[in-house]
Amino acid sequence: MAEKKKTYVEDIERTLYDIKNEDHSVYKSHSGLTPEIVRDISKRKNDPEWMTEFRLKSLEVYNSLELPTWGPSLEELNMDDIVTYVQPDAKMTGSWEEVPEDIKDTFDRLGIPEAEKTSLGGVGAQYDSEVVYHSIQEDMVKQGVIYTDMETALVEHEDIVKEYFMTLVPPKDHKFAALHGAVWSGGSFVYVPEGVHVEMPLQSYFRLNAAGAGQFEHTLIIVEKNASLHFIEGCSAPKHNVTNLHAGCVELFVKEGARLRYSTIENWSRNMMNLNTKRALVEKDGIIEWVSGSFGSHISCLYPCSVLHGENARCEFTGVTFASKGQNLDTGASVIHAAPHTSANINTRTISKAGGKATYRSAVKVTKNAPFAKCSVNCESLMLDNLSRSDTLPVMDIEGDEADIGHEAKIGRISDEAIFYLTSRGIDEEEARAMIVRGFVEPIAKELPLEYALEMNNLVNIELEGTMG
Amino acid sequence: MLNEEIFSAIPMRTWRWLKVNEVPVPAGLSENVQTEKILVETGESKSIVLDRREGGALEVQAHIADGGELNLIYAQLVGEEQAATSRIKVYVGKGAKFNYTTVEAGAKHTAAELTVDMAGDDSFADVWGLYFGDGGRKIDLNYIIRQQGKRTDANMQVRGALLGGAEKTFRGTLDFLEGSKGSVGREDEEVMVLSDHVQNRSVPIMLSHEDDVDGHHAVSIGKMDEEKLFYLMSRGLDLAEAQKLVVEANFQPVLDRIDNDELKAEIDAYLQRRLSNG
Amino acid sequence: MAEQLLEIKDLHAGVEDKEILKGLSLSVGKGEVHVILGPNGSGKSTLMNIIMGHPKYTVTSGSMEFEGEDMTEMKTFERSRKGLFLSFQTPEEIPGITVENMLRTAKQAITGEKVKLLPFRKELKATMQELKMDPEYAQRYLNVGFSGGEKKRTEILQLLMLKPKLALLDETDSGLDVDAVQIVSEGVAKFHNEENSCLIITHNTRILEHLKVDKVHVLMNGQIVEEGGPELIEDINSRGFAHIREEQEG
Repeated sequence: MAEKKKTYVEDIERTLYDIKNEDHSVYKSHSGLTPEIVRDISKRKNDPEWMTEFRLKSLEVYNSLELPTWGPSLEELNMDDIVTYVQPDAKMTGSWEEVPEDIKDTFDRLGIPEAEKTSLGGVGAQYDSEVVYHSIQEDMVKQGVIYTDMETALVEHEDIVKEYFMTLVPPKDHKFAALHGAVWSGGSFVYVPEGVHVEMPLQSYFRLNAAGAGQFEHTLIIVEKNASLHFIEGCSAPKHNVTNLHAGCVELFVKEGARLRYSTIENWSRNMMNLNTKRALVEKDGIIEWVSGSFGSHISCLYPCSVLHGENARCEFTGVTFASKGQNLDTGASVIHAAPHTSANINTRTISKAGGKATYRSAVKVTKNAPFAKCSVNCESLMLDNLSRSDTLPVMDIEGDEADIGHEAKIGRISDEAIFYLTSRGIDEEEARAMIVRGFVEPIAKELPLEYALEMNNLVNIELEGTMG
Repeated sequence: MLNEEIFSAIPMRTWRWLKVNEVPVPAGLSENVQTEKILVETGESKSIVLDRREGGALEVQAHIADGGELNLIYAQLVGEEQAATSRIKVYVGKGAKFNYTTVEAGAKHTAAELTVDMAGDDSFADVWGLYFGDGGRKIDLNYIIRQQGKRTDANMQVRGALLGGAEKTFRGTLDFLEGSKGSVGREDEEVMVLSDHVQNRSVPIMLSHEDDVDGHHAVSIGKMDEEKLFYLMSRGLDLAEAQKLVVEANFQPVLDRIDNDELKAEIDAYLQRRLSNG
Repeated sequence: MAEQLLEIKDLHAGVEDKEILKGLSLSVGKGEVHVILGPNGSGKSTLMNIIMGHPKYTVTSGSMEFEGEDMTEMKTFERSRKGLFLSFQTPEEIPGITVENMLRTAKQAITGEKVKLLPFRKELKATMQELKMDPEYAQRYLNVGFSGGEKKRTEILQLLMLKPKLALLDETDSGLDVDAVQIVSEGVAKFHNEENSCLIITHNTRILEHLKVDKVHVLMNGQIVEEGGPELIEDINSRGFAHIREEQEG
């Protein structure tokens, strides 16, 4: 039996994730945000003219929009202190050997090259603002699958990028979408041609090393008719004493009869403001599946949105959020039913402890064009102590009379009777609690590939250590 | 709009595009507020019926002292051309009970706020609401139960039917404040939608700053159970009659709580008439 | 007389300010089968929970010994590791934990040894078959969505897998149909041998069919008011508790 640790752990040892490298970046933009900085970033990135224009327009939108008036307070965020572009001392490569030692070590520790060998069909690795590594299996290339960094895509597939880029999440959507439009850098581009099934998942890993920096990667995925893909996104950062900002943007286009699974295990450090925007447009008979684990960051606002645009389009959302000391994690989902017979299942679990604040926020909208829409929401919240907060704020906005909408939510703590039952079987209290918490997130864990499920269990265990008994 | 004012707001705001944060009412409606005060003394039990037929603004403040019990029935059958707001604030003391039954069936624009402060340990609140919207009616409800005492027990049950071009927003909040150890809370809304032109918003909020609580909420929005309708129609009812019966059955648990037979019969007849027109 | 396994002396216990057990004494020897009878609300289930160490109850005085060792201060999991097992009247539903995972974790905790997956799985499957359980239930979440009968069978499955020294069976036969009672009864009989003991609460003599009952205790108002051999079961089945109550009061 493991030694019982009764003392309360002030801040979690996240060693694996916390090792920070020396900042070897070759270029950093000035902190803050001006048209000059945006122009400078654009120039360094060799943007085509239209992209430079796009960035500058986005900046205008950014300046015209207010900070959100709902949700967690973003007062601590001072854009003047944020460095929006940090270029690492590395060129994009297709070989780990060519990645600079310290950066490669980081990804080694995170197990990325290892996973690439065994269970992934392709890997992208971003370090600060730029992608340093990208590769995809040969046979997929032969089938016409494109998996590359956004910068390369902008050169090699400019027409596709131009057609889709920030059309689903327009800069005017909200202040941080606009910010993203102005200073975006890095991210992944995936194109799966009609009828192609990508058997092994593709994974992009985003690592933010520099202190006081922002990461604004853009992920654009297009899954054509009757094609399928599993995409995994991982993110982490070492802990710094200054605020880091993550305002990524994910745009997913799921065409007729296509299927896309988008899995995320987010484990940013506790100085991160994670204001990420994710959206999927799903056409007829298409399926989007979100699997979302939120463990890290200081403040998170994350509500992946599914626009069910074609008849019979479907959304499955599974999410777990674990808010601990000093964290305010505002997560959830939204679904817009815009066509007949569309359906959605939202299933979430939130856990809060040690003063952490977890909020489930969601929207289900059924438009007039969506008769026979079906949506079922189930969210459960577990509170491990009374220092914490757990709030549930779902909104359902339903037009028409042919919708079938069900929503259920529960809030509470681990039941004493369940603990008694397990301890009566010889299991000690600490393990019994851990088992119950793991069981609580099991519906999500079982949706993840094995190694990610293990990572999630590991994160849960790290969080639980020292809080019991 | 300039001719609107904010009457009430939900305890925690959300995305603006959803338009559920605030309850707007026609400007100037609250200029003349009719105020009622209800005091229930320690150990006393009171039953009060507010039978409302006039539009405008109504404010009710009720204080239920320790061990007291208040049975409050609020029937809003205001004329169809008027707007009606109500703001009801209730304080529930230690071991005190608040039984509330409301029927929001009149007025072209209804805005109702109910705030129940369960301040006392072992306090109890049982809130049952019925709303009915047809034509172009607008119904905005904002019910908030704050559970502050230890071992409080709250139940919020809302049943509704919407037809015609009715527009309704129901916001129901259970707020477990720090220290509300051992409290339980349940909130359910069941809506029947009978027309394609209805707009229906439901916002079941649950807030918690206490782990030792047991909170549930559930919402179900949908058209009628086809099996039920089929069963009734196999017994000779036509679709409209069968629908009427199913709606009535859904309302029954709320109506059953009204022990004033005269008023109950009147509400029944009123709903019947409205349903037949729909 | 057999070696004592469980020895309870003058036990007073209850919740908050309410005393439920009022000076209860009871002893169970090794290899014995004991039955507790008593009207509803007499404290039978409370007794089982207190023996197992439910934190809701407080022992105010008296003693409880297991194999000669005082266990009043022992935590529930320690009691289990000593060899106590409670078959719950209403087993908890625990989502996300499979029957197999729970049992294997428990087995490891009790034996203090690593339990190898494959042999364990084999034993589990064989035992489930004996109890006429679908082996698929091993992968289902603990009691979640199980019928009353399935829950009770799962309790007996745990009993057979964990092999305790003393089985406390709290109305394991209630709410079951005839066939299910038969299976449960056979399961208990299979478990029982000279080395272990059973303490059974029941309203149904059918569960005892395959067992030789050594002693019967009648529990009323928090005390054992009468003790005797198996003939006492017949007596109470035909005459009820009223006459004992009268004797008590008279």
